[in-house]
Amino acid sequence: MADSRDDFIIAIRYALLKKGAKQKFSLFFLISFSVLILVLDNLSVPFIKSTRAVLNDFVYRAAVVVSTPGKFFSYLNLEKNKHFNIVNKNKILKKEIRLLKINKHNSLFLKTENENLKKVLNVANLSTYGENTSVVARVILDPESPYLKSLLINKGTKNGIIKGMTVFSKGYLIGTIVESNYLTARVLLITDLNSRIPVVLQDTNINAILTGAGKKTNLSLEYLPESFVAAPDKIIYTSGKDGFLAAGLPVAKTYLNKKSKLRIKSLADPGQALIIYVTKGQNK
Amino acid sequence: MNILSVIKNFFFNNLIVIIFYFLSLSSFEGIKEFSDLVIFSFNLPMIIIYFFILKFPDRLGLGHIFLGGIFNDVVIGIPLGASSLSYLILAFFTSYIRNVTLRSKMTAEWTTFIPTLFFSNLVYFFTINNFSHLSFFYLELLRSTFFTFLFFPFFYFIFINYQKSFLKDNA
Repeated sequence: MADSRDDFIIAIRYALLKKGAKQKFSLFFLISFSVLILVLDNLSVPFIKSTRAVLNDFVYRAAVVVSTPGKFFSYLNLEKNKHFNIVNKNKILKKEIRLLKINKHNSLFLKTENENLKKVLNVANLSTYGENTSVVARVILDPESPYLKSLLINKGTKNGIIKGMTVFSKGYLIGTIVESNYLTARVLLITDLNSRIPVVLQDTNINAILTGAGKKTNLSLEYLPESFVAAPDKIIYTSGKDGFLAAGLPVAKTYLNKKSKLRIKSLADPGQALIIYVTKGQNK
Repeated sequence: MNILSVIKNFFFNNLIVIIFYFLSLSSFEGIKEFSDLVIFSFNLPMIIIYFFILKFPDRLGLGHIFLGGIFNDVVIGIPLGASSLSYLILAFFTSYIRNVTLRSKMTAEWTTFIPTLFFSNLVYFFTINNFSHLSFFYLELLRSTFFTFLFFPFFYFIFINYQKSFLKDNA
């Protein structure tokens, strides 16, 4: 019993105190040193504090360098995931492209069929968009005159604007060019007293002349048949009888005012126009 | 002998020390580095200490173990000396096992790794609890210890083959 206890103590002593061929310190010394550091660190001794600060700086920098391969593997992992995501996305996109190609072929077939049917029916293309070049202009002056409702724009004959051209704002007709200079032009608004636009009323074949009365909400129709009474909520379109303005452009609308009287208002708001399109009679 | 072979010899002779310092500085926790396999975290420095103190004590100096522990403490941010003490306790128990072992067998060494890990982690746990106000996940420590024990044979064969093939060492 005593022998085995002696063996145990000898083995422990040997393990603690033995120094191998290349071991400079014994385990006992290093364990004691570790405990000492722990205690001193816990007591926040100034010397240990400053030493730790220096050690931290050194070790952190070394750790940054050492962790680079780990970061690289993380980066590779991330890139791998990204790659597989792209591969999956690519598969989905390929499917979408195939569907779109099928749709495109269908569209081409329908277009050809449509053209052939038009030829059979002798229906010509009514619009000539090629000639309908529009010029975008900016309103530079909006004179607040009680008599003349007009705008000044920053484009003129230099840009191909000539007298008689029609002006649109936000898709609606707002007036015609009445004066064209080299760099500027004047637009006579449809709300002006001097404005005359040949129109046709919705759901009828009644022709009339739309004239302005100074206000957006107070236009009037001239040359109506004597017995004709216009209905409310009907759109007034251009008839194209002046030979310049295209037919079928919505200009105004009939409505009932608060006193239940039939009035005509402009669909566009010329007073708010800032960017306008000047065309040869056709909406842009 | 030219300078290249000197560098090569130095590198291969001290590879394990380099790896140990690398692991201490990068606070490597095994497969935990891969986010999908976080559960399999293990403590490779402990496996290295146990194996080399047991089999080739001259390849890994105790001073390196102490210094590696200090570096690990700084990187992790725990009280200075906690990891060192834990590693040195591991080295002490390993050294004791080495002294009392007559015929070494892998299975026996694997089994004796359990009490060694237990005492090492006990000291680690005791140190952190008494010398700091830090709290940590006990379950994670237990899990890490379990996988450290489980992966030991795998690294045993790697290290022993490396020692025998490259350094012509005999266990």
